[in-house]
Amino acid sequence: MNSTSLTRMIKIEVVVSGSEAPAVRELIQSIGATGYTSLSGVSGLGHGGYHQGRLLFNQQAALELIITVVPESRTEALLAGLRPLLDASSGVMFVTETFVSRPEYFS
Amino acid sequence: MTDTDNQRARLRSDVAVAARVVPTHYPLETFIAVNPLAGLEGMPFEQAIRRAGDLYGIRGVLDEAAFRRFYRDGRITDDDLDRALVRRFPNLLSSDELRLGDRVVSPLEFLRADLLHGTPQAGRGIGTPQAGRQILTRAAEHAPAVDDTVDAQTSKWCAAFFGDAAWAMPGRENGFYSAWRALAAGDRSLPRDVRKQLRLAAERPDDAALEAISRLGINDDTRAAYLQAHLTRMPGWAAHIQWSAAHGGGIDLVGYLAMRLSYESALLARHADSRGRQRHGFAAPNADVGSARERATHLIEVWGLHDVDDRQLATAARVLTAMPVTSRAMLWQNAFESHYRDDLLAQLGPGSRPAVPAPVHAQVVTCIDTRSEGLRRRLESLGGYETLGFAGFFAVAIRYTGLLRGASEDLCPVLIAPNHDITENPVPNGAGAAARRVSGATRLAGAESAFHAAKESFAAPFTLAEAAGWIAAPLAAVKTMAPALSGAVRRRLRDAVVPAAPTAINLAAMPEAEQVLFAQIALTTMGLTRGFSRLVVLCAHGSTTENNPYQAALDCGACGGQAGAPNARTAVAILNRPEVRTALESLGIEIPADTWFVAAQHDTAADRVTVLDTHVIPDSHRDDLARLERDVTRAGGALAAERCDTLPGASGRLSAARATRHVAGRSADWAQVYPEWGLAGNAAFLVAPREVSRGIDLRRRVFLHSYDPEIDTDGAALEIILTAPLVVAQWINCQYYFSTVSPQVFGAGTKTIHNVVGKAGVIAGHTGDLQIGLPWQSVSDGQTLRHEPMRLLAVVQAPLDRIEAIIDRNPILQELFGNDWLALAARDNAEQPWNRWTRTGWRLWSESRSRPMILDEEMVS
Repeated sequence: MNSTSLTRMIKIEVVVSGSEAPAVRELIQSIGATGYTSLSGVSGLGHGGYHQGRLLFNQQAALELIITVVPESRTEALLAGLRPLLDASSGVMFVTETFVSRPEYFS
Repeated sequence: MTDTDNQRARLRSDVAVAARVVPTHYPLETFIAVNPLAGLEGMPFEQAIRRAGDLYGIRGVLDEAAFRRFYRDGRITDDDLDRALVRRFPNLLSSDELRLGDRVVSPLEFLRADLLHGTPQAGRGIGTPQAGRQILTRAAEHAPAVDDTVDAQTSKWCAAFFGDAAWAMPGRENGFYSAWRALAAGDRSLPRDVRKQLRLAAERPDDAALEAISRLGINDDTRAAYLQAHLTRMPGWAAHIQWSAAHGGGIDLVGYLAMRLSYESALLARHADSRGRQRHGFAAPNADVGSARERATHLIEVWGLHDVDDRQLATAARVLTAMPVTSRAMLWQNAFESHYRDDLLAQLGPGSRPAVPAPVHAQVVTCIDTRSEGLRRRLESLGGYETLGFAGFFAVAIRYTGLLRGASEDLCPVLIAPNHDITENPVPNGAGAAARRVSGATRLAGAESAFHAAKESFAAPFTLAEAAGWIAAPLAAVKTMAPALSGAVRRRLRDAVVPAAPTAINLAAMPEAEQVLFAQIALTTMGLTRGFSRLVVLCAHGSTTENNPYQAALDCGACGGQAGAPNARTAVAILNRPEVRTALESLGIEIPADTWFVAAQHDTAADRVTVLDTHVIPDSHRDDLARLERDVTRAGGALAAERCDTLPGASGRLSAARATRHVAGRSADWAQVYPEWGLAGNAAFLVAPREVSRGIDLRRRVFLHSYDPEIDTDGAALEIILTAPLVVAQWINCQYYFSTVSPQVFGAGTKTIHNVVGKAGVIAGHTGDLQIGLPWQSVSDGQTLRHEPMRLLAVVQAPLDRIEAIIDRNPILQELFGNDWLALAARDNAEQPWNRWTRTGWRLWSESRSRPMILDEEMVS
């Protein structure tokens, strides 16, 4: 990876039910993240068993994947907020290092 | 990022977690039924209502006196009670008999006697008349007057923010917290030191909340629970704020809690010992629960038994120990539900019913709404009609803009977002008529707006009274004394000012491929892919009432609490397109060339069915149309007469013609608090071909969804039905249930003292919490309950392994069925007996000993 042309950031991916997703999005915005990407109707297998993907007439019961990229300085606050939220639900969170070419978009 | 940032994020997260118990609420104009305890659906029903009792101080189930009245009326029998007891305590049947003096009784009989004659006792938990809130704010613990002040201030500022009074809340445009912060310290009704403290409130709401929490001495571990205590004090406002936050309303729960906590900490600072103790658990339950020995003694007295010795009394008491007083109401509830369910399933088979006698000249597809059952039954009785049930948005999730333009409406279930922007346009050559209609509507709206503005402004009412009083007063008198006449006159006047114009639905925003997909899904899901008749009517519904803030609660829930005519018109426009029909042929659905789809709407208050867009119906189908219009009028009249039997003020048995006039009058009566019963009485949801229920009077208590398992070979349609319409029906059922059993918190009180707050909702009187449920007049006629509160029974005729597979891959269904929010009865086909779904597999419905749910202390020793 050529770090001279890319800037290191932290990517946080959260999978929660559609009904929990607004709280996660609100939290992401509240810590100053500049944006996020939402994918509704994701499917998969987890400790709660298989989760059906897109339900034709029920978006609230389907799972949603929310992705945000933030500078490392904002990570701690976001994680401090996400942990209790996920402790009280069946969602999961992945935190990884990532690189972006236009850091001003994310900070 | 600093520690402060972490604290703020953590607070926001705690608020989100605490808010899970806050009911969902929709504003008045899109009011739809929801389960106020949806946040507790992860728990078994019985546990959830206990939890709700701790949070809200509600009982969550009818009291024993109500159940005993049902028993006396024959609505619950000894058999029902025995089955409920045996399901809960399976080893009762094998327990030794009790000897009490010279009488020998079975333990089952003894427990039943306690249900019938046991003295109600005070205490914490369900079934007790004095259930109390157990999760309390610091103010409620130490200074209840402070709690009341916090509530009063909350109500005042929320009403000011959400209301649409002529004088708006200053600074409202800056958001709720900011506006409140600027004004609160100027409130002279508060002591000087409190105002001084409020003046110091932080600029950011999260910082203000954190500071107040710190002053109150709440630690991080109990903070979410403490926030919950505040959110559940006035669940109506909290619920509406949660909705508003998601819709850019300038207010959120953090700001709301910041206000409440700031008041609480400032007011409590005057009470020296208020920071003393922080309670982490429940208040000590009221110990006034009769001991098992006292209960046994009471029963012995009721039976008039003598010579009962101590040993016999002790044995009898031990039997009663298994059934705490707090569990009795839930056993009654189970027995009550079983009575209805057993009767319903017995009516539904097993055994085949004859197919619809030929010829069928029209198929009528109505909403699954329980009110449609009456219309379908009445229409079928005329002969030549086949009816089907489908969610009233007819699978087209649209954002609709009418001819008059103005704000668009989302016409689809709130579970989903609309996919397409659909507009209503003039037909070719209809531009002139459309222009006259738009112009008339604009003039009328302007006049109404000017009238109301004049009423609400400072000095104009005096002038208005001089200028318009001579006509307004007599009109008001006519509206009161002769509502039907007044309604007819106003309708004619309106038609004269705003003349009708032929219009058409513009489908341009919906790509053809999606039109075809919609048509395929809709027809497959409703089980109508062959045997089309000449007319296929998609009949939406809405309700016309006057002076009724809860109008939306009577409209179509599948259309977001609005009338569904635009959805029916859109669906019909698609299904009549030759291009769509050609594409459907390649998918195996052949719609004959002489089949014409027609849109209609059933006014459920007046039982009037109006056929829509008659100008596009071809001449070849004019005779069919005439017969349809004649028959829906007859069916509507018969249904009106049927409904009049239960409507307060409708005298005796009325002829169809008189009943039609009567319900039309009610519909136009601005003083009528019982315009119709809506979905009161709802108790079951049937997913099956109509053959299963045709000819049975289901008394407008059953949602009817058509389903043909032979067409739906992969189960996709059944999965849609179980995960969407059934879920919405369960919300409706729970809304009616909790509005009936806990009207103080989850109902809306009496309509007669409602004051409307902007578009948010109503409050009872001039202050207090926003009312979130149904008014008392929606569930009771003042003497008797018109809604019998029972959980929904889903009845499905489909292969059991298919149902099982769908439940397995949908956690929402596992939760609803597994936690007893819904019961499920199913059978493979009409020849099979009904089975009950349990977590451990299917059991015959007739088996009493199916899956007892045994909670905490209720284990039989």
